[in-house]
Amino acid sequence: MKRFWAVLAMLCMLAASAGALAADYDPVAEFGSDVLNVYNWGEYIDKQVLTDFEKEYKVRVNYSLFSSNEEMYTKLLSGASYDVLVPSDYMIERLIKENKLQPLDREVVNNLDNLAEGVRNLDYDPDNTYSVPYLWQTVGIVYDTTKIDPAEMEEQGWSAFLNPEYSGHVYMYDSERDAFMVALKALGYSANTDDPDELQAAFEWLREMDKAVHPSYVTDEVIDAMANGEKWMALVYSGDAAYILSENEDMGYLAPKEGTNISIDAMVIPANATNPKLANVFIRYILEYDASLRISEEVGYASANAQVLEELSGEDGAYAGNDAYVPRAGYDLDEHYIDIPESLRSQYSSMWIKVKLHE
Amino acid sequence: MKSFFRMSYPYLLWIALFIVAPMIMILLYALTRSGNGLLTFQFTLENFTKFFNDATFMRVLFTSLRIALLTTVFCILIGYPAALFMASLPERKQTTMVLLLTLPMWINMLLKTYAWRGILMNFDLESEARVFIGMVYDFLPYMIIQIHTAIAKMDRDLLTAAYDLGANRWKTFLKVTLPLSVPGIISGITLVFLPAVSSFVIPKLLGGGDYVLIGNLIEIYFLNAGDWNFGSAISLIMALIIIASMWATKKLDRNAQEG
Repeated sequence: MKRFWAVLAMLCMLAASAGALAADYDPVAEFGSDVLNVYNWGEYIDKQVLTDFEKEYKVRVNYSLFSSNEEMYTKLLSGASYDVLVPSDYMIERLIKENKLQPLDREVVNNLDNLAEGVRNLDYDPDNTYSVPYLWQTVGIVYDTTKIDPAEMEEQGWSAFLNPEYSGHVYMYDSERDAFMVALKALGYSANTDDPDELQAAFEWLREMDKAVHPSYVTDEVIDAMANGEKWMALVYSGDAAYILSENEDMGYLAPKEGTNISIDAMVIPANATNPKLANVFIRYILEYDASLRISEEVGYASANAQVLEELSGEDGAYAGNDAYVPRAGYDLDEHYIDIPESLRSQYSSMWIKVKLHE
Repeated sequence: MKSFFRMSYPYLLWIALFIVAPMIMILLYALTRSGNGLLTFQFTLENFTKFFNDATFMRVLFTSLRIALLTTVFCILIGYPAALFMASLPERKQTTMVLLLTLPMWINMLLKTYAWRGILMNFDLESEARVFIGMVYDFLPYMIIQIHTAIAKMDRDLLTAAYDLGANRWKTFLKVTLPLSVPGIISGITLVFLPAVSSFVIPKLLGGGDYVLIGNLIEIYFLNAGDWNFGSAISLIMALIIIASMWATKKLDRNAQEG
């Protein structure tokens, strides 16, 4: 085993010596350690970006995956140490509140001008003290334009989920928060409400939906299923919708008129990070044009880099003419999620189970 | 004797750290409400009353018990004839059969379940039917092996004696083979019913979002809701069910051995 590591180290050194950095560059002297622990969502990066970063800075990136903000949070609570995390907006709000993040080094992260209009001045961290947006998205409806007329779809908005004509042809994303967001928005309430009457009304709305369209409650399998045109409409994240639309030209995307959720996943450095210096360098690197382009093109979620966003949706871009790629920005009725207390989340769960079990 | 007792220390330490301590933590969570500090918590039974007063949760509990029972019964119905057949083969073939039977266990259960998902999604089945097929498939080998072991170690002379005394094959089976294989059936039940009632991957992958068993309920409250108190209460209720059914099968086993 020792020999293996020695050989590996030698190979790394050989590869690195071909790199662009000065000959006397030593990552350990520079950053204190040449290892960076990154914790990100699954299927949310172009691996080449990590390899390039490793080569350029002669470091090693440990890349681990989570599948929900809550999973990431639980892991963090259990004492795991990471250098860069990519949670969503409301989770960042909670992490800031609980003093679990450290401020960015703005001398290093000096390229915030790259940020797109839609991801500036965000409520949870208005001047980017702690976070730099990574990718962003809206929640919306992917629908088969050969089955449902686009004008009709636009007219209906969220209430399409109550239209019995679509019964048996609907996918509902199995996520409490998003399902309740749909109902609350359809009823004209805020997605972040804690008013018991509004929540009860949303609960009734969802039960009606269950009766009216008999949806299949799914998670990520919805992506392939809609790309294959298996049902007429589905609740999806715009980033996944961009992929579906690029696979199946019959599909359309709608961010309903009643407003929806805009969510932002952003890079942060936890307070207990072991290599914050390198973490800052990594964050700057990701926000640069090259890395941002690769990531957004691969994943289909909207880039936080303005130039990339414009280019990918432009005439020759990978997502030209794709309605789902660029999230609707600046629409008054759209909201970010705020962090809600545990009692409310538990209530969401209890009500959502009843909806799914048809009770 | 004393020195042998000392050898169990590592095991006792293991139990204390990884079984007793977590159980105590679950108990503490289940009996408190969130927002309590480590030193200021107040005991409450509201997590349990919430569970038992809600028709939905009771139905989930009932569904879990029903599907576990159904799985166990079917495993016996399919597994018993299979075990009987295996025991009737020459010894060397029996070894091969046991090997063949355990072969699928070398593959990770998650992979097998995903494979079933690919197969079953092509058919228009109720979610419960899909979960049931997946569970029977997964737990059947445990049942067959237990019953087969019980039958195989039976003294063959007993059968000859029964024939000598004029019993036909059916009567021999009823009076000799079946009673002697009961311990095998009972350990088979333990190995099938308990994991089936707490199963959560199979219903999650094969059942779909609208099929919730008690294992899934625990996951939802821990991960989605972050309500560790209620999640712990459900875990505790499930642990009690498991202990109760272990006690019941043990009692059954003792009765069978006495009778």
